[in-house]
Parts: sequence; structure tokens; C-alpha cells
Amino acid sequence: MGDEYPTLFRSEQMSLVQLIVPTEVAHDTIAELGELGNVQFKDLNPDVNPFQRSFVGEIRRIDEMARRVRFFASQIEKEKEPIPIRPLYDSAPLVTVGPRAAQTLDELDVKLAEHEERLTQMNDSYQLLSERLRELVEARHVLRETAQFFEQAAVRETEVRTSLDDSSAPLLQHDDREQQFGGGDLQFDLEFVAGTIDRARLSTFERVLWRVLRGNLYMNYIDIQEPFVDPATGAETRKNVFIIFAHGDILLSKIRKVAESMGATIYPIDVNPDKRADSMREVTGRLEDLQIVLYNTGANRRTELMTIGESLASWQDVVAKEKLIYETLNLLNYDVRRKTLIAEGWCPTRDISQIQLALRHATEESGTNVPPILHELRTNRTPPTFHRTNKFTEGFQTIMDAYGIATYQEVNPGLFAVITFPFLFAVMFGDIGHGFIIFTAAVVMILSERKLAKADLGEIFGTFFFGRYIILLMGLFSIYTGFLYNDIFSKSLHLFHSGWDVNNGTAVSNGHTYPFGIDPAWHGAENGLLFTNSYKMKMSIVLGVIHMTFAVCLQVPNHIRFKRFSDIYTNFIPQMIFLQSIFGYLVICIIYKWTVDWDKASTQPPSLLNMLISMVLSPGSVDPESQLYPGQSTVQVILLLLAAVCVPWLLITKPYLQWQEMKKIQGQGYIGLGADDVPRHTDDTTLEGEEEGNGRAVVEANDEEHEEHDFSEVVVHQVIHTIEFCLGCVSHTASYLRLWALSLAHAQLSEVLWDMTLSNVLGMPGLVGIVALVIVGVLWLVLTISILCVMEGLSAFLHALRLHWVEANSKHYEAGGYQFVPLSFARLNEKQ
Amino acid sequence: MSSSLPTVYILFLAILVGSAGWFGTPKGPNQTLIRTSILLTLACTYLMWMVTYLAQVHPLESPRLGVQE
Repeated sequence: MGDEYPTLFRSEQMSLVQLIVPTEVAHDTIAELGELGNVQFKDLNPDVNPFQRSFVGEIRRIDEMARRVRFFASQIEKEKEPIPIRPLYDSAPLVTVGPRAAQTLDELDVKLAEHEERLTQMNDSYQLLSERLRELVEARHVLRETAQFFEQAAVRETEVRTSLDDSSAPLLQHDDREQQFGGGDLQFDLEFVAGTIDRARLSTFERVLWRVLRGNLYMNYIDIQEPFVDPATGAETRKNVFIIFAHGDILLSKIRKVAESMGATIYPIDVNPDKRADSMREVTGRLEDLQIVLYNTGANRRTELMTIGESLASWQDVVAKEKLIYETLNLLNYDVRRKTLIAEGWCPTRDISQIQLALRHATEESGTNVPPILHELRTNRTPPTFHRTNKFTEGFQTIMDAYGIATYQEVNPGLFAVITFPFLFAVMFGDIGHGFIIFTAAVVMILSERKLAKADLGEIFGTFFFGRYIILLMGLFSIYTGFLYNDIFSKSLHLFHSGWDVNNGTAVSNGHTYPFGIDPAWHGAENGLLFTNSYKMKMSIVLGVIHMTFAVCLQVPNHIRFKRFSDIYTNFIPQMIFLQSIFGYLVICIIYKWTVDWDKASTQPPSLLNMLISMVLSPGSVDPESQLYPGQSTVQVILLLLAAVCVPWLLITKPYLQWQEMKKIQGQGYIGLGADDVPRHTDDTTLEGEEEGNGRAVVEANDEEHEEHDFSEVVVHQVIHTIEFCLGCVSHTASYLRLWALSLAHAQLSEVLWDMTLSNVLGMPGLVGIVALVIVGVLWLVLTISILCVMEGLSAFLHALRLHWVEANSKHYEAGGYQFVPLSFARLNEKQ
Repeated sequence: MSSSLPTVYILFLAILVGSAGWFGTPKGPNQTLIRTSILLTLACTYLMWMVTYLAQVHPLESPRLGVQE
């Protein structure tokens, strides 16, 4: 089977392989297989707790390293000015296989720990210094603002004293005495508390103080203009400086307590202005020093981060790879006696020789002489589905896989979607100009493929880039259908002789048919839409019925491959007859009606829609005046009877055959499967275990889902299948009319855009005309690309995809498989 | 006189090109893909052209052009 090339028609043949790997080579073997990307490993220790697996210690160490690498990455990300990270393809590779592997990993561990310690230390000291800076800034504000208060109060104090001098004499004595206790002109006899508080809390603070002190205070406050930014969170807080004058120790201590509870910071301010000036100078000096230290710490941190940035990508890669390797190693079964690890996995049969080469390569690298052994196992389990795609077919396969992964070796609809999907898109999008635009966009993406593949494109553009080959084909087919619809930016091309001679607004047929596409005489005609609608609707039905017929036929290779020959005449043939007898007949009538020259015919051209409806509602009665062909009523009755027979045929035959088979099995004396197998199987495994040690392959043949031979389920399944198919035929055929609907919408949008923009501007004379043409032209181009290409393109894409998923796939696609997910380091990068 | 016969001629042409494509594709990993694509493309493009052509061979109404400016 290895000399035949794999095709996309079916999924590849997979084999279950068993690898026996000596422990010394295990790590390197898995690394080599990971690079190759061809093996999907099975978990051979399914009932072992993740904390009890053999390589838990190594994984924990790697997780530590991964945490450190993530920490570095987040620190680098937080920097305001970006720090360059050397990309992976540019970094020197870290070799983690071979004899020096363990040493390399240990060195890496130590290095990462060192970097982390240095970085955290720098972060902490930066934080501390920032805190100190903030306090000093606040202190400076407090000093500055309170200086103002004192100056104001001093002025008022002198005023007060002068006024008191004129009052009654005995009181003066008290004043004199009190003056003696204070010293100097600007002495106060009120003490104060000064500090800063959050602006939000200020009013509450005032009110609380007022109540506590019963109004025996004088409070003044002023805003600090600049907000304080918290370095850790980046939140801004606005603060105010307050100063509270009160008399007496008890009051002052109460004020201090309230201030502390409200979260205010209190700063010691001296009454003496000279001392205040000294503190101011000291604070300013310390502030400057602190800023220098802060700047230096910041610069050091930045250099450290730059050094880290040089190697960060390769560290991330190594850590991720090693983690994957050890996780895979955990899936293997350890045979104590022979000191080997046993691995089981799926791989494509074609690639077995490649894998053996890789195994030999791994042994050479690690320097031992004992190669791992690979041999194939026979099994009943269903292998995973693997379609070998290249960069061209990848996109198409992905969009069909999104509906469901194909059952193992089922016919793959992705192969046909390569052409039918862009074609159905183009039927809905047909315009030469728009097709050309999206074709060019795809070509640009494809020509710069290599460069774009490495860059991080973001989600939206990345999705477009992933589907560049789909867009290329969509563009090509759209140009073709654009020629057929004769539509280029809502104008028509006049490439050949028209079939209509036009004089004075009336067109007369001249017996010539426009050979390629719709006649340009229809462009701008009043009844143009009448013709194109009829044409496009009929075309949609024709294309739809043919697409569905093709999809039904795809059942046959599946029935043959899976040896369900009876399904061919219980499912395929009645389905085909049902579909063709009604809708195939409709298609034939459509085409026949077109080939008849109704000017020369004896009857009037009948409405096909009425004909179909009356065929079903009143079979056998066809009015000779409006018949399509002689003998129509008989033919239609026969076809209707055929369709009617197919329904019970579909419904009954398959369950009946299954029932017969069940009877036969029961008649031969077997009990139903599944009852006896379970205890037997466990006996086998324990026996095997005693004989050969614990490290043997566990081929679980019993994990298979048993086929339900419950008869009622079969009947129900078939009923659902029949109803789905018969109703589906009608509704899906009508669903194909969306091909008409979207192409109509596209054509109309295109025409409206032209009429509203360029057609108004094309006739304008002179300089004004040129300027207007340029402006409106740019507007037209932007709207064409954004609305007609992107929006309509996405819409047509979606509807074409729906037609494939629902109308076509429901006729043949089982989609019951699971995806082949090999251990692959390339996939790691994709995930990141 | 317009007739539907050209569709039959082009059908033969398409079958011819299809056979050439089927037998002319070199063996290789992409043989199935190329063969399928060629045949499907021929089928789709022929179908659509045929439908467009046939719809205009014996038209049931003629274009009524409004007053041209």
C-alpha cells in the first residue's frame, strides 16, 4: 500500500504501532518524533493520577521554568517603551538532545532563577523608592501650602492685636501676660495638625471633626494640583493639604486619631518659619537624590530586560518543547524488568519507514547502541482520520472539517469543495471587476507568503491569510461568472454581436444568440430584471439539483468500502429515484422548455412552477392548451408513483433486512454480544501480566462501542433518515434559490453605487469636473472594496459554505471520526 | 437561425478536454486532486455557460429599452 500515493479522496490508512524504547534514549526519541510530527501517542496509564506519574518531578521543574519565562514576558510587556524580543528563527538554538542535554537544561534552570531574582529585587527596590518619593512630594506640598496659612494668619494676628488695644483696661493685663508666654511677634497660642488627605474623603473628614470636637477647631485646606499616580496599579489619586488649628492636647490627640482613621497622613510642621525653610530645603535635597537613584534603578532594570529579551523566544520554545516531551513520556508504560518504556500510538502507514529512520537518528544522537523497536499491532479500534494536505488544500479541508471530521476512510467532501465551493461563491458574486479585485488581493498575499507566515497578523487578517488560496479560486471563478452575467462594475461588455437589433427603444431579435454570457441589450432595459430573474432562478435550480445528485452519488463509494452492499439498494437507489423523479424531471423540463421555439409551437409556453404544483396536487390532468409536450400527463403520473413507492422502500427495506439477520443469529443459538466478553477479557489481562511482566501492550478490544442490535433503534433511525431525506429534497432544492437571490442583490448594489456616485460626476466639465471626479472616484473605490467586495464577499462565502454543509453533506457525509493530532513541535508554535 | 445545437458541440469539446486532462495528468501525490479539479471545473463552467446560452436561444420576451438619455 506504500507505493500508491495518498489522495484526498479518503483519509489515510493508519496503523497502531508499538514502540519499545530503552530508558536512556526515551527523551531523545520523543524529541525526534516530535520534530517529525507523525505519531499520535495513546495514554497507556489512563487510571494513574497526574501526580503519581513517573516524570512528575521533571514536569514540575519545567513548570517552574515556564513560570519564570512567563514572568519575564509579562515584565517586558509592561514596559512603556517596547523592548525588542529576538524572534525564534533568529536566535541561536538550544540543544536539548544528546549527551549534554541534562547539563544544558540545568544551566538554563540556574540562569532563569538568577535573572528572576535580580529582576524581583530591582522591582522591589523601585517600588520602595517610589513610595518614598511620593511621601517626600507630599511633604513638600504640605510645607508649601501651610507656609501660606501661617503668613495669612500672621497678618490677621497683628490686626487683631491692634484692635484689642483700644478696649477696656483690665483686660489688657491678660493680653500682656499671654504675650509674654509666647515668644516673638508671630507667635501663636493655638496648636495645629497638618497633613494630606484624599480629596474624596475631605468633606467626611471635616464633618466628623466638627462633630467630635463640637466646633472647637479651625480647619483650612487647599488642593494639590497634580494627582499622585500609584506605580503598581496606575490609579490616580488627588489629595488635599489640610491644617487644623485647635487648642489643648486632648483635642489635638482626638484630631490625630480621626485623621489616622480616615487615612490621612500627618506631617510634622514646625511653627518657626526658619525651621520650616530648613525642612523645605532638606526635603528638596532628598527628593533630588531619590530621583537620581530611581532613574538609575530604572535604567538598570531596562538593561536587564534587554538581555532577557535577546534569549526569551528560545527559552519559551525550549520550555514548551520539554514540557510536551515529558508529558508524552508520562503516557508511556514503564516495564521494570527490561528497563524500557513502551509506547503505543497511531501513525500513517506510509510514514512508518520515516519514523524508523527518526528512531535510528535518535539513538545515534544520544550515543547509545540500543535502538528503539517499532512493530505494528492489529486492532479493532477505529483509527483517527488524517487527510494529508498541502498549503493549497489546507484551507478547503479546514472549512469542510469545521462541519465535522470525516469517519475513518470515508469519502472526503473537501476534495470536491476545492472547485465547487469557489464556483458556488462565484455564482452569487459574479462581477468581473469585483472578482478581479479579490483575485489581486489573494495574489498579493500569496506572493508575500513567506514573510507573512512568520509575522503575527492578528485574528482577522490572519484568517484571511489562512484562506488565501480559497480567495484566489473565488476570484478566478468570479471573473468567469462575471463574463457570463456580463457585469463589470455594473456595466456590460459588448464583446460579440448582440442578438437584438435596437431601433428607437424597441429591440427585435435578429436570430443570433450572444455566444458567451448575457446579451448586452438587456443592460438598462426596463424589463431586464424580468429576464435575468427567470434565468438566474432556473439556473439555481439546475445547479442545485445537479449538486445534490452528485452528493447522493458519493454515498456509493462509502457503501462499497465499508462493505454495506445492501445499503446501495436500500438507501442509494430509492433516494436517487425520489430525487430524480420530481426534481430531475423539473430540470429536464426547464432545459426542454428553453430548447423549444415557442413562436412556432402550437401551444403557449406553460409556467413550469404551476406545472410542478399541479403535477403533485392534481396528477394526471394536464390541460392540452398549456402542456409542455404530448403525453405529459401519463409521464407525470408514472413519475409521481415512482416517487411515492420510494418512500416506503426507504422506510422498510433496511430495517427488514436487519431484522432478518437478527433472527438468523438468534436462530443459531448465540446470545447477544457483550454479555460474556467482559469477564473473559479481564482474565486474559491478568494471565498475560503474570506471564510476561507488566509491560505489555494493552490492546483494548473491548472498548469498542457495541453495535446496538436493539431493533427499535434501527427502525427509529431509518424513519428519521427517510423523513429527513424526503422533506430535505424539497426544502434544499428551494434553498438553492439563494444563488439567485444573492447574485441579484450584488448586481443591484453595484448598480446603485454607480448611479449614486460616478454617474453624476462623469459629465461634469472643466476643473471642477476633474476634482469632483477624483473625490467621487475615491469614494466609489472605497465603497466598492468595503461593501461590495468585503461585505458581499463574506456573505456569499457564508451562503456557499452553508450550501455545502447542509444541502450537500447531509446526503452522504457521516462525519463520525476524530482528528489525528500527532505530537508535533510545529503545532506548538501555531498554538502560540 | 439560433439553435441549441452549439451546446452539444461544446459538450463534446468539454468531454474531450476532460479526457485529455484525465489521462494527461502525471502520476504523483496530487494526481487525484488535479484530475478532480479539472473535471469539476469543466463540468461547472460548461453547465453555467450552457444554461446561459439556452436561456437566450428562444427568448420569450424582448428587451424594452426605456428612453435613453
